[in-house]
Amino acid sequence: MLASLKLLDLMADKSESMANQWAKDVVKNPKTPYYHNSDQDKIIPQAAEFYQKLSRVYTDKDPFTAIQGFMGKFAEARFKEKVPLHEALYSIILMRRNIWLYAEFQAIFITIIEQHQALDSQLRTILMFDYITYAFTEKYWELMNLEFARKNKK
Amino acid sequence: MQAYAAKLIDLIELKAENIARQWAADVMKHNRTPSYSSLPQDRVIERGVEFYRLFRQMSLADIPYEAAKTFSWKYAKECYREKIPLQEAVYALILLRRNLWLYAEFQGVFVTALEKQQAVESLNRTILMYDYVSYQVIEKYQELIKDDVDKKLGSIRMMMNNPIGGIKNIYKSGLMGILLLGACILTYYYHATLGTGVIFTHLFYIPIILASIWWGKKGIFVAIFLAGLILISHTLFLKTVPFVDDMIRALMFLVIGGVIGWLRGGIKKIEDLYKATI
Repeated sequence: MLASLKLLDLMADKSESMANQWAKDVVKNPKTPYYHNSDQDKIIPQAAEFYQKLSRVYTDKDPFTAIQGFMGKFAEARFKEKVPLHEALYSIILMRRNIWLYAEFQAIFITIIEQHQALDSQLRTILMFDYITYAFTEKYWELMNLEFARKNKK
Repeated sequence: MQAYAAKLIDLIELKAENIARQWAADVMKHNRTPSYSSLPQDRVIERGVEFYRLFRQMSLADIPYEAAKTFSWKYAKECYREKIPLQEAVYALILLRRNLWLYAEFQGVFVTALEKQQAVESLNRTILMYDYVSYQVIEKYQELIKDDVDKKLGSIRMMMNNPIGGIKNIYKSGLMGILLLGACILTYYYHATLGTGVIFTHLFYIPIILASIWWGKKGIFVAIFLAGLILISHTLFLKTVPFVDDMIRALMFLVIGGVIGWLRGGIKKIEDLYKATI
């Protein structure tokens, strides 16, 4: 767990830079066409906020509950923007990749011990994103069904 | 292909069924995948084996993303058919990936310091594979929902696009004007000239039905107009003929116009829902 703190600090301090890097990626990735015409000024704060919130739950004993909370709101926002579910989820995958790419670029894991820590950090990151994926899909799916039921009831 | 990745792939190939069994035991009792608990274990294991074999196929493929599609689409179709909620289907994939790693760790594949470094790379490969598969599964799952809605509401769409429903509004109004004028002439001819009220009023159902299909509940005004027309005409020209027959006819115009308008309103909602869904 402690080894993840280095990555955690990086995420909290450099959320804006990471979000910038992510935005450059998501606006040209062929799997996220929805974002291709997006205003970067609008999507960067979304990602920066995501990184900030993620950094706060990283060391929680029960991160799932906290993740469910902020990912619920994140899913609602993406649903309102009509981002297709698979694209929204891929944009989250890109967020995860960009954490790691940024860490590599910043060369925060240099020594042998740090290389060991890298594996630990990566496993923790993956666990967090597993929860994120589940919580996000669950909420988005729920919203889709609610919308369907609401329109059907009218 | 790097040696360390090959090491993991060999292990997966050799132990696909064992890892799949381990995954099946996990997914069938996990609290985030309750739908799996009621599935036959053999089928769950078979699905797991297919996923683990995909690892080699993807490693050998020129475009791994394309190689993943066969599995992903089949997986999405099966989950959809079995009514497994999407988040559970995705979490089952997460567990597939996790069990792969647990098994690799369990088997002591990555022991030395160098192997630990290699582990990071191997882990990246499994994650990349999972990223592709989860994206494709979600995309396919949504496509299946769309197809299902498409199929179920196919007749509605046909109605939306058919020649009667698809006429432009200006032509509808024009045609309705002609039909109503025709109705007035017919009424005058039969009531004033022939002095009878038989048969011809059945033709009034044509504008009444068309108006209700085109304009829904608002189409009732055409029925009201025609009901008023025969009643006024009867009062003016058929004073000796009993009034009750035309009253029943007028009432039927309103009932038919109202019912079709109401049904059309329901169909319109389904159309809107259909458009929103796709």
